[in-house]
Amino acid sequence: MIELTGISRTHVVGGNPVHALKEVHVRIETGEYVSIMGPSGSGKSTLLHILGCLDRPTAGSYRFGGQETARLTEVELSRLRRHQIGFVFQFFHLVPRLTAAGNVELPMVFAGVDLEEREHRVRQVLEVVGLTARATHRPDQLSGGEQQRVAIARAVVMSPALLLADEPTGNLDSASGREIVNLIESMNQKGLTLVVVTHDQGIGERARRQIRLADGEVVSDQRRDGTGMAESGHPTSADGA
Amino acid sequence: MSFQDLFRLAWQSMWFHRQRSFLTLLGILIGIASVILLTSIGEGTRVYVLSEFTQFGTTLAAVNPGRIETSGAPGALGVTVNPLTLEDAAALDRIPGVERVAPVVMGAAEVEHAGRSRNVFVYGVTSSSPEVWRMRVRGGRFIPEMDWRRGAPLAVLGPKLSRELFGDQTSLGRHVRISGQRYLVIGVMQPKGQFLGFDIDDSAYIPVAEAGRLFNRLDLHEIDVLIANSSLIDTVVGRIKRTLIERHNMEEDFTITTQTGMLESLDRIIRIVSLAVGGIGAISLLVGSIGILTMMWISVNERTSEIGLVRAIGATSTQVLLLFLTEAILLSTVGGVLGLVAGIGLAQALHVYLPALPVSTPVEFVLLALIVSLLVGVGSGLLPARRAAALDPVVALTEE
Amino acid sequence: MRLSDLLRFAGGALHGHRLRTVLSVLGVAIGVASVILLTGLGEGARRYVTGEFASLGANLLIVIPGKTETKGMAPLINTAPHDLTRQDAEAILERVRSVQRVAPVVIGTARANAAERTREITVVGTTRDLLEIRHLKVARGRFLPRDVPEAALCVLGARVARELFPDQNPLGQLVRVGEWRFRVIGLMAPRGTSIGLDLDEIVAIPVDTALRVFNRTSLFRILAEVRSRSDLDGAERAVLALLRERHSGREDVTVMTQDSVLATFNQILGALTAALVGIAAISLGVAGLGIMNVMLVSVSERTREIGLLKAIGVTPSQVTAVFLVEAAILSSAGGCVGLLASVGVERLFLRLYPDFPIQPPGWAIASALAVSFSVGLIFGILPARNAARLDAVQALMRRKT
Repeated sequence: MIELTGISRTHVVGGNPVHALKEVHVRIETGEYVSIMGPSGSGKSTLLHILGCLDRPTAGSYRFGGQETARLTEVELSRLRRHQIGFVFQFFHLVPRLTAAGNVELPMVFAGVDLEEREHRVRQVLEVVGLTARATHRPDQLSGGEQQRVAIARAVVMSPALLLADEPTGNLDSASGREIVNLIESMNQKGLTLVVVTHDQGIGERARRQIRLADGEVVSDQRRDGTGMAESGHPTSADGA
Repeated sequence: MSFQDLFRLAWQSMWFHRQRSFLTLLGILIGIASVILLTSIGEGTRVYVLSEFTQFGTTLAAVNPGRIETSGAPGALGVTVNPLTLEDAAALDRIPGVERVAPVVMGAAEVEHAGRSRNVFVYGVTSSSPEVWRMRVRGGRFIPEMDWRRGAPLAVLGPKLSRELFGDQTSLGRHVRISGQRYLVIGVMQPKGQFLGFDIDDSAYIPVAEAGRLFNRLDLHEIDVLIANSSLIDTVVGRIKRTLIERHNMEEDFTITTQTGMLESLDRIIRIVSLAVGGIGAISLLVGSIGILTMMWISVNERTSEIGLVRAIGATSTQVLLLFLTEAILLSTVGGVLGLVAGIGLAQALHVYLPALPVSTPVEFVLLALIVSLLVGVGSGLLPARRAAALDPVVALTEE
Repeated sequence: MRLSDLLRFAGGALHGHRLRTVLSVLGVAIGVASVILLTGLGEGARRYVTGEFASLGANLLIVIPGKTETKGMAPLINTAPHDLTRQDAEAILERVRSVQRVAPVVIGTARANAAERTREITVVGTTRDLLEIRHLKVARGRFLPRDVPEAALCVLGARVARELFPDQNPLGQLVRVGEWRFRVIGLMAPRGTSIGLDLDEIVAIPVDTALRVFNRTSLFRILAEVRSRSDLDGAERAVLALLRERHSGREDVTVMTQDSVLATFNQILGALTAALVGIAAISLGVAGLGIMNVMLVSVSERTREIGLLKAIGVTPSQVTAVFLVEAAILSSAGGCVGLLASVGVERLFLRLYPDFPIQPPGWAIASALAVSFSVGLIFGILPARNAARLDAVQALMRRKT
């Protein structure tokens, strides 16, 4: 489903080029559960942003569902994010003035889904995340875990193909964190492709496939069954290891 | 994204910051209210002044001696080598399309009765004057038909003059002295009130030949011509001009002012003045729209991460632009509508307090005010909205 | 806390939010500039009118035939049963001691011919003393001779002379007015319009001749110049008494002084200016609202900062002072910018209309600045008090959202 070939991303900071990603090659198949780990500054957020079509690579090719994203316009990318990709963030990013239901509804508003359909789907996903009773509460009336569940409901309400989670438990206590991980894993089991970015080993190692980054390069890519992917991958990233 | 959704989202964000939104739209409210109030007063004055003039009829033309180009104002000097005469007036009366002609000699004189006296305007007129000027006699009758060149010691008093000299008693059949000459009062006019502050009721009317003798002049101040109907005005004015030029040795040494021409120029002047005053009032509107600009800018800054989020969940940059633009337009139109209500309310309240001050708010003003407040919203919202739309989603998301 | 520290602290906060600072300043600046400019326009109009009348001479009495008690905008009367005559004018000069000069005036329009050329003119019948009374200047030749009320002589206004005699010396030439012929003895210096009469369009002839040209017996008016301003009231009474005596006991003339006319004009222009300035001042109020709004936002944004200030022992009144100073800086800066802008617009205006003395009086500038300063203080009170009332612990604890 996802095919990154030779992806590089260079920022210019204070006149000097900073290489956030260097020649990254990754393939992710539909239904996979991938964690991306690495210390801060390793480029994992940049990789997530590129996967989410929020950022464009400086070089290389990113094919999503067989389509080359570099050729898409900004509007087409927005449409792709809208229908194919769901985001979950560390700081939830709920709109403070909207209720839980209102936040969940938001992607459908931009997609122009009609009202009846929206109500129906909001009810459905809130039930999935177990927040039916909290539908009319505002974010400041919800606990951290509840807020993240609203965010997850919002991420999946458009039935995307890919769920990107950026440190989803980073701002939660361990009990709520576990609940959140269980929730997104259960969604993965129903076929949703899941990519989790984290620096938390405990969370990351739950994934069936673990990609480790350092200094903008993939240093290891392993499946939990023990099969090392690094060697079968591309020689450039292996050189960096 | 549907219009209702845009509106709902904008409304929610406006309502979330109630105090701030209220203060922001208060600026527009005050601006629109003052413009509406001022233009309502201006429009009221215009309507009032025009009705003051049309009370004399719209098919009236006045001929004054002298050329307007030289003296600046017709009749202000009122003196020429070739003055207007009663014969000129008689000639005009024969022109086809002229209904009635009223020659006028006027001056100031003292009118006395039984020890009471009053200095007023005395008009030398003919029997046609009431019809030409649309005036009515309340009691008795007006100056009767007679040879214009021969006088008779008859007078008609304005109601105010009659009251000043005779109190509650009738003046009909009594005598007054005008500058020492005895005149029999044969009529009292119906009250006509003031004409632009000048009290018409405080005057006396005598036959035109009498006024000529009284003021020692044989020429006329003015000849007023009533034209048969309004479609004939241009034609008849042309005929008047030709007739008089012929009679005055081929010289155009007079000025013709039609009531419609006068009305048009007055109309123009008052419109310009009320536009200028309204424009000064609109300065507040400008300051108010700067207020919207400021608030929207602050709002974009505060909601940077929210903008990043909506981009991440699939909003296009155009949708983000519309979102913020709608908020600005909502602020300005709510302010505009409230300002409209306040402006009209103030204008009406003012009218109740000061009945002399005419006010009028035509529908066009209301529509214009709404359009203007809409434009204010677009104008002041565009810059912040474009900034919001141009934000890089990654930068916006990581902004904390 | 010293004032300089307070200013530095507030200035730093404003500098951090440059755009909103600039916009708040702009709002006040527009308000202040429009108030100052409108005051300047009003004051300019007043000066212009005063200047027009001053060119008449300050010590002038104007006698007009006729008198009414009718209220309102009556047209200027010049017809009355009793004529105002040249003899009346001479009697005023002889019998009213404080009057040093008189000029009888007859005005009418006529057509003038010279050689092949014809044009409309304003005929002014008068005497020699009009020259001094109206401060007129003769460019060439001489003005009407003294003590010759009737003669076929004329003096041409600048434009009349140029247009009737485009390529020859008008002096000594003949000008025909109606059936009459006049010999040109002088040319006036260009003067322009004064109180509605274009002095370049006139042809001056002796007063009695003018009465005959227009077939009149009464003067249009008499101008009488008194020795000093303090004599005006006495002279007015004396002239009225004299003319009543000469007009068989009736008071049938109106005497105007420059002062009374000027006072009316000043009153009207003053009221007009006040109204316009008042309307413009509304925008200052709107600008004040804008400042209040921005300050409220700023207080809520800086909740943690305020909590910190309180934690390190800053008193509520000091917190109030910090925010009040910030608001006052905003509005005063707006006042100064507005003042500068208005000076710029005035310069531009003066370049376009050099004759119109637009100049805001000093008090207007001073009060506009004072008002702009107090706008900040008044509209800053609410946000500053909000800040001072914040609870230190809660302010510090508040999560950044």
